[in-house]
Amino acid sequence: MATRKVNFKRPQNFLFFLNLLSLSLVILYNKSFDRLSVGVVVGLTLTIYISNLLLLKISSGDHYLLQIVSMMMSLGIIMIYRINPELGFTQVIWYVIGIMTFYLTYFIIKKITFWPKCMKLYIGASFLLFLLTLIFGSTIKGATNWIQIRGHTFQPVEVIKILFVFFLASYYVNRNKFENKYILSIIVYLHIGFLFIQKDLGSAMLFYMVFIVIFYVYENDRKFILINIIAAILMAILGYFAFGHVQIRVEAWLNPWSDISGNGYQITQSLFAIAEGGFLGKGIGNGYPSFIPEVQTDFIFSAICEELGILTGIAVIMLFLILIYRGIKISLEQKNQFYRIVALGITLTLGFQTFIILGGVTKLIPLTGITLPFLSYGGSSLVMSFAALGILQVASEYIYSEQEENYEQGTKEDN
Amino acid sequence: MNKEQKRIIKVLFLLSILFISLIVYLTYFELFRAEEVKNSSYNKRPANDEYVLRGSIYDRNKTLLAYSTKSNDDAQVRNYEYNNLYSHIIGYYDNIYGQSGLEKSYNSALSDSNVIDDVKNVFFQVLDNFKINEENIPLIKESQGHSLVLTIDHALQQYTKEQLGNRKGSIVVMNPKNGDILSMVNYPDFNPNDLSNNWEKISSDEENPLINRATEGLYTPGSIYKIITTTAALETEGIDTQFNCEGEINIGGFILKDQSAHGNVNLSEALIKSCNVSFGQIGVQLGQDNLNNISEKFMFNKKIPFDINTKKSIFPKNKMDKAEIGSTSIGQGKLEVTPLNMALMTSAIANNGEMMTPNLVKSVINSNGTIIEESEPKVLSTVTTSEIANNITEMMVDVVNQGTGTQAKINGINVAGKTGTAQNSGKDHVWFVAFAPAENPQIAISVLLENNGGSGGANAAPIARNIIIKALNNIQQ
Repeated sequence: MATRKVNFKRPQNFLFFLNLLSLSLVILYNKSFDRLSVGVVVGLTLTIYISNLLLLKISSGDHYLLQIVSMMMSLGIIMIYRINPELGFTQVIWYVIGIMTFYLTYFIIKKITFWPKCMKLYIGASFLLFLLTLIFGSTIKGATNWIQIRGHTFQPVEVIKILFVFFLASYYVNRNKFENKYILSIIVYLHIGFLFIQKDLGSAMLFYMVFIVIFYVYENDRKFILINIIAAILMAILGYFAFGHVQIRVEAWLNPWSDISGNGYQITQSLFAIAEGGFLGKGIGNGYPSFIPEVQTDFIFSAICEELGILTGIAVIMLFLILIYRGIKISLEQKNQFYRIVALGITLTLGFQTFIILGGVTKLIPLTGITLPFLSYGGSSLVMSFAALGILQVASEYIYSEQEENYEQGTKEDN
Repeated sequence: MNKEQKRIIKVLFLLSILFISLIVYLTYFELFRAEEVKNSSYNKRPANDEYVLRGSIYDRNKTLLAYSTKSNDDAQVRNYEYNNLYSHIIGYYDNIYGQSGLEKSYNSALSDSNVIDDVKNVFFQVLDNFKINEENIPLIKESQGHSLVLTIDHALQQYTKEQLGNRKGSIVVMNPKNGDILSMVNYPDFNPNDLSNNWEKISSDEENPLINRATEGLYTPGSIYKIITTTAALETEGIDTQFNCEGEINIGGFILKDQSAHGNVNLSEALIKSCNVSFGQIGVQLGQDNLNNISEKFMFNKKIPFDINTKKSIFPKNKMDKAEIGSTSIGQGKLEVTPLNMALMTSAIANNGEMMTPNLVKSVINSNGTIIEESEPKVLSTVTTSEIANNITEMMVDVVNQGTGTQAKINGINVAGKTGTAQNSGKDHVWFVAFAPAENPQIAISVLLENNGGSGGANAAPIARNIIIKALNNIQQ
């Protein structure tokens, strides 16, 4: 029995040793050992163990999702704790809240079965949130997409991301009843338009990408997809000339070195960090992540590259790729069409969001400020990512519903 | 597989391409672009791993000479307490211009922190947090590199610089018995605190203030080389050293001159009067091989192991004719020496024929003050027997008492010295090498004034005298 307790076949044990090693390194180089460090070590380890063990008992679906995310959370928290011990501890608390949200979402989504019938509710809720943001929103980091409630800030767009996926799924599930691709397009572009007004270009790009891919998979009118893509390109070009903040982003991407102290500052600081790190990194505690503004949120990946090397950076990318693979696998195997589309939508959201921010901080594509799911510091983003994961967890299970009978019909229509 | 599933697989394919392109791009960036990006002047990161606070540098009496401080954004600043005074010994440490001097040769020691110290620090903090650090051991939250304790005597270094003043040249003062360098000053020098503002000027200056003249400057030795010729003459049997100096002599078609006719002189008198006629003829008798061998015992053509970079003194390797041997044996010809080498030559005579390895760093200590590395006196080369060395010492005492070096005479102390005035393409270099007290040498010194145009006895000897007095007083305290 004793040998079974240190069984390396169980990923949790691997993770436990990874966390122990890296956290003791952080403690060594931060030269701080206090209640916070104990809190982080104990909190992180316990949360990973309990959440994964609990899942084995509760869910019959995919157990790898949460394990992959546990690994991401570990890397994120280690890095955030290294940058700022207090934020690291707060992030552990958010992790606990995130796990609670994960299980809560899991049960709610599983128990309630009328989700496909509430399309109008999703649209209404989304637009209500957008309006609230416009009215009460405060501007942080150049984007007006934050709402402050008694000193706490949260980003409504994190909730809208899930509502948007639910809306698209319920539209295609119910298309026998009301199919109107024009109204669909208008509603989608309204979403994107709102995001544009808030100057949240990253999310606008994300919503469009998720929409166009789901459109590509489910829309019968193939020509209309092409028209949409062309229209989007035209709008992007128009947007570039019409809006100053779009031009700034593009210029900072094409040549950040020409305005290094101004608009190119963030991206060049990020590139310095990645360049300094090399393949193996400087080692935890030996880099200068604090030189990058917003390092614990948007630029956490650059900090990881600096101190843990781009090999770890590549490992993070691979983790997301595995998560995407699991998500796609779920949507391929799910018999229930609604959950099939939801699984695809959530996978796309996580995947594109990751690509947009990683491509941004490495200067592969223009930089737009969105968080790296499960790694960045931040409450609403993390909690909603866990909610999305909870939904994906439900989708990974066998779900019986009315749609199953319509399944054959649905595919025939597709043909 | 239905159409929907096929399309979803295509979507997976698309996402995979996106993510793999990220990986490829990152790898490309790291392989081909990183170096250029890293070297951007906007990169605030220090070129070296500076999470360890760079160690300090002290003189032999623990006077602080150089230390580092951390600014708010974690970047380190190197402070040189005495500006120009140690520009060639300690050198500079700069993110852009690199390192020189001890900052370069001891870079790893200065930036090395003790892993055990790091672990200890955390351990003590644990004790402190749980309120069990009853002895209240102070916590050092900073990893600090090792520090250097130099053999330099700060007071003497300052005095040496005062004595050299704004004359181009180099002075090396050392303890002949153990090789400790007590002071080493060159002019022109530079201020390492203010490198970035003056780099253009310093690096393009024709007088080369960046060069450590004492260890890297090569100069014609002139008559101080006669100490080596004398050593060779005493070591070799059957050398005729009795001459009648008529003021000049033709050796192989080249006329060697003296300032005046010295008349009948033996070896001792020849050295006292620095008689070129005598030494020219002694050299011819000795021959090139003999002179070469004894010079190499005095570390010519050999790298002198030292804590900072040194250049080799040169004894020419080409086949010499009689005329060249004649001029080489009086310290002219193609001979080139470093001031450090001349100080070592003098020390070897002072130390009964044993040349000690020169030392600049007495010990390396860690942040707790514990000695990690200590320099031990080592014999570098045995140049001659103690009888011959003592014999030469007597001659050199007479040089100061009654010969060309009377300006270095000190009441109550026997100083052994030798003057030199070296012809070269510019104005004459003037030299004076000496040690004192002759019976029990404590101090050996080499003074060089570059292109001074005067004579060693008149211009260099008084400087040596002053420094010897100061140094002996220092030791007595």
